[in-house]
Formats: sequence, C-alpha cells, structure tokens
Amino acid sequence: MKRFVGMWLVIGAVLLGLVLLFMGFYLLAGWAAGVAAWLGAPEFYGSAIANTVTLMAVLLMTVAALLTVAERKWSAAMQDRIGANRIKVFGMALGGVPYLLADALKMLTKEATYPAARSRLLFELAPVMAFAPTFALFAVVPVGPEVELSGRKVALLVANPDVGLLWIFALAGLSVYGTTLAGWASNSRAGLLGGVRAASQMISYEVSLGMSLVGVMLAYKTVNLQDMVIAQGAAVLGPVPALGILLQPLGFLVFFTSSFAETKRAPFDLPEGESEIVGYFVEYSGMKFGMMFLAEFVEVVILAGVVTAVFLGGWHPVFFESWLSNPANVPPLLYGGICAAAFLAKVILLCWLQLVIRWLLPRFRFDQIQALCWKMLLPGALINLFVTGAAVLLDPSLQLLAWIGAAEIVAIFGITAAASRAPATSAGAHDQGHAAHAAGH
Amino acid sequence: MPYQLDNQTADVRESLYFPEIFRAIGIVMRTFWRNAFFSRDANPDVLARDLSHSRVTTVTYPEEKVTYAPGYRGLHRLVPRADGNPRCVACYMCATACPAQCIYIEAGEVEGDPIEKWPTKFIIDELRCVVCGFCVEACPKDAIRMDTGEHPKPTYDRGGQIYDEKRLLRGPPVSYDYDPWLRRGSRLPQPAMKQMRDLARPFAREAKDEFSETPGFSARTLASEARARAEAGNK
Repeated sequence: MKRFVGMWLVIGAVLLGLVLLFMGFYLLAGWAAGVAAWLGAPEFYGSAIANTVTLMAVLLMTVAALLTVAERKWSAAMQDRIGANRIKVFGMALGGVPYLLADALKMLTKEATYPAARSRLLFELAPVMAFAPTFALFAVVPVGPEVELSGRKVALLVANPDVGLLWIFALAGLSVYGTTLAGWASNSRAGLLGGVRAASQMISYEVSLGMSLVGVMLAYKTVNLQDMVIAQGAAVLGPVPALGILLQPLGFLVFFTSSFAETKRAPFDLPEGESEIVGYFVEYSGMKFGMMFLAEFVEVVILAGVVTAVFLGGWHPVFFESWLSNPANVPPLLYGGICAAAFLAKVILLCWLQLVIRWLLPRFRFDQIQALCWKMLLPGALINLFVTGAAVLLDPSLQLLAWIGAAEIVAIFGITAAASRAPATSAGAHDQGHAAHAAGH
Repeated sequence: MPYQLDNQTADVRESLYFPEIFRAIGIVMRTFWRNAFFSRDANPDVLARDLSHSRVTTVTYPEEKVTYAPGYRGLHRLVPRADGNPRCVACYMCATACPAQCIYIEAGEVEGDPIEKWPTKFIIDELRCVVCGFCVEACPKDAIRMDTGEHPKPTYDRGGQIYDEKRLLRGPPVSYDYDPWLRRGSRLPQPAMKQMRDLARPFAREAKDEFSETPGFSARTLASEARARAEAGNK
C-alpha cells in the first residue's frame, strides 16, 4: 500500500514539476524574445533560439535518455521482474535513474573499433545522418500554446513553418539514409543486410505514413501543426472536442503503426534482428553506436510527440479546459505551463504504450511486415482518406466525421470485446471435437 | 515423424491484427499496473509469496536469500562437542571416501588418553570439493556435516577457499549417549560433563526429514501448498 501511495505521489510530483519547468521555459523564451527585440531582430528569433535549447537540447534529450532507463524498469514491470536497481546512490536505487550516468560513461569511454574495409566518410557520416533528421523533426512539434507574457506572444515551439506535416514527412524520409549508409559503409554482410532491411521497411511504411495523415489534413484544413492543435480544441459533438483520435480513429491506428515501424523497434526491429544479424550498426562501437541507439529513443519520443499533436489534442489539457483557459481563473503563464505539462504527459503515456506493444508482440517476419504495410495499412489509409473526404465535403462542420469516427471506435471496441471472448468458445469447440472423435472410436 | 500442426488460415478477426493486439495491450497493462503500483512480497520462500497484487517473483540475492531445500548440501562444518572440541576422531574415513581428495587430516593424540585421537589439522579445499556428501555419509562419528545451508564465500584468491579446522569447527554442538567421552569419563569438570549428558540423545536408527520440523520451512508443506494452489487455480 505504501508503494501504491508513493507511486501516485511521484506521478503527482512529476506533473507538478513539469508545470513549473514549462513555466520556466516560457519565461526563458519570453526573455530571449525581449533580448531579440532589443537587438533589433524579430522577436520570434529570440524565442526560437531559447526553445531550441530548452525543448530540443534539454527536454527531448532528457526524455529520450530517461527512456533508456524507463525501458529497463517498465519492461521489468511488464515481465514480473524488478529491473535495474544495482547502482545505488546513498543506498537508494532511485528507480534506476543512476544507470543513465553509467551508460553515458560507458558509451563515452569505450574503445572505438573500426572495420578496416569501411568506406571512411560514409561510416563517420552515418550516425550523424541517423541522428540529425530525427532530432530536427521535433522542431515543428508544438509543445505549448501561444501565451502573452508582458505584451509578447510566446509559444513553446521551435519553428512554426506553414509546411508543418510536410517537414515531418521530408525528414522522416531522410532518416532512412543514416541507417542504410551505416549498413553499407561498414562493409559487413550483417550490417549491409540490416541496412537493406531498414531501407525497404522504412520506405514501404512511409507511404502509409503519409496517406494516413492526409485525412487529418482534410479534416482540419491545414498542415501547420500548431493550427492543427488549436483546431482540436473546438467542440464538435456537444462538449467533446474535435480530437484527431475521434475524427480519425482509423488514421490514428495506421499512423501509429507506420511510425512505429519507422522507429525500427520491436516488433518491427528486423533491421536490428539481434538473433540473426545484429543489424545495420553491428560494426559501430562507443559513442557512434550510442548515437544510433539514442536516435532510436529520440525517434520514439518524437513519434509520441507527433501522434499527440495530431491525434490526441496536443497541448490541450482536454479536461476543465474552458475553465483553465480563462485568464480570470488561471494566469496565462500557469495556463501555458499546464498545457505543456499535459502535452508531455501524453507523450510519456504514448512512449509507455510503445513499450507495451514492444513486449506483447514477437518480431514480424519480413513478408508479414510488408503484408501488414501494403495489404492492411495502405488500403486502410486510403479508405479512411476517401471516407474523410466525403464526410468533410458533405458536412464541413465536421459533425458527420465525428459521428463516423465514434462509430469506428465503437466498432473497434466491439470487435475487441468479441475477440476477448473468442478463445474460450474455440477451446470448448475443440474439446467437443475431441469427445466426438473419442466416441467415434 | 514430427507431429503435425494444424495449418489453419487466420480468420478475419485474426488477420485484422488490431483486436487481438488491443486485447494483449490490456493484459500487459494489467501486469504493469500490478507490478509497478504494488510492492512485492519479499518472502524468500517464493512459492509461498502472496501474488494477489504484485506478481514479481524476484529474490534480490545478496540481500534476500532463498531458503534451501532440506537435502541441500552446503558448506562443510566440523561438528563440535558441547565443550567446544571437535567430535572428529581423525579416523581418515572421510578423506578416504572423498572422490575429489580434497580433505587433508593430520591426527594428534589426546594428551593423557591412551585411545583418543583428534585432528590437529583438518583442511578442506572447497575448490576441489565436488559437493557429493560422501564424507558426511562415511563419518562414523557424525563429526562432519554439510547442514550449514551456505555456500563457500567468494574470494579473490584460491587460498581463501581452503578451509582449515578453525573455520570449519562451528555450529550447534551435538552429543549422543554413546559418545565415549561421556561413558569413559573425562577430564572435564563435573558441571560441564552433566550438561553434555543432558544434551545427549540416542542416535537415530531411521533416517528422517529433520529439517521438515524447522518452524517456518518445510519442503512437504511447500509442496502441499503449491498443489492446493494449482487445484484451486484449475477450478
């Protein structure tokens, strides 16, 4: 019971800490905007630089690094284990967080070995090519709403280009190069195989990745992510806001699955395939491997961020929002902090969901991966696209689309409920079959 | 011939992937919830753990230790008499029986006693020991036992694994009513003598599960509990 209370206290403390942290980020961005204005540059430059440091270098990297620890501890909890707890600081395991330092130290101090027959430039370039595009993806993900601080409008968002989602597609496409180059340049059979697998898998899934988001673009009539998040705050079915997951449940499933495949993690980890080929980074050691490894975790966080922004209402706290957003009740700075904390909470929840899925599915076979992509996800995305297009055309207020989405959600739940009853009946039928068989003899 | 698996094609529900995956997500989430939010039962007897909340069965080893099964052959000990001397009479039976030849004994005569011998040196090399228990079986005096329930402590050098009589002589003393020093008289003071007589018991003619009477631990109880649990689970 003590642990139960303690866990909720920790969760509460983390949420409170996030609110305070994001308030600090807002203040920093506002201050940087002021400095930029004083220097005669557009205010946006200042806040963009501050956000680059706070959101990308601090927040994203910290969450991604903590995810390596979380992967150990959460996986352990899912498998009835305890997980990493041997490093103790003053006798406390601290939830395995000290492993972060140990890992970093190990990665940085390990001897770097190189295959003699590598192609040198590409070999050195590949970790950068794997890491940089994924890292840059986060620039367009809106973390917090636009808030007015002492006369300046500040948002927790690095860049707000109108291309929004297209930027995401472009950079997600670029990240194929890192893995493929790593496999090619290390001049090893296993590495090359991993690189080729990565290329074919990622290029296949990019199609359904793009297609699944077209429905969202149609529904919200924008590709700008901040506008998309703002559009999700509008009520559509009575008090229910027009969240992407309500309007586009099918699109959500397809996008989540495709981007999951893009992260190259289990069950889509064929490019790594620890048991057959060690993967495209088999020849990398030390921090070069660390970059590849970290890129994967960064990708997980960014996938969660994009899914949150596009489908889960981004920084909208969803509950009590009309009360929170009223400046008479909550000062704008606190509101911004709460919104950004809500965003990160959703991101963490999605990261956790990815870990759950990682542990509940075995690795796909390669033909299964391609079949899932081309025979299920792509047709699903296309059907979703046509239905969405028709619904938006018939009813631009999105009411019809929301009803269709609600019906889809109900249908999915219905099928799942039916599925959860199915094994019992099939086992019963099996027994009857045996009985009949025995009677026949 | 290898057995045949029914090559059933997946039905529509299965080939949809997602319903089954949602179901599995529910299962994993429940496991996660139980293990992350409830503390684990740290009972070293893993089978008897309360798994109604957390299902973690880990035993964090150096801090917690599993109780070994009754027949567990642990680190040797030289059984002491009640007066602190070893029961061993340096007969070399254990050293002869030892297939690994890891026991080295040097006998000495007990001063003032024409018959009795005692080991001036009794050395076991635990690195050579194959933990077969033959020495325990061979001993006519019940002077060497493997009932400590411990294993040799890890050491940084091989010398640390060589146990001499000073390290081996430990544990609760054992006396039997046929012990010669009780029957023939001894140089011990009378009160100590009386104490040893009181502690003496007849030597067991039948083998019995001595450890099953240890409070809180019994292999039979464990097994019957596990069986009851399994039967309850089947219903």
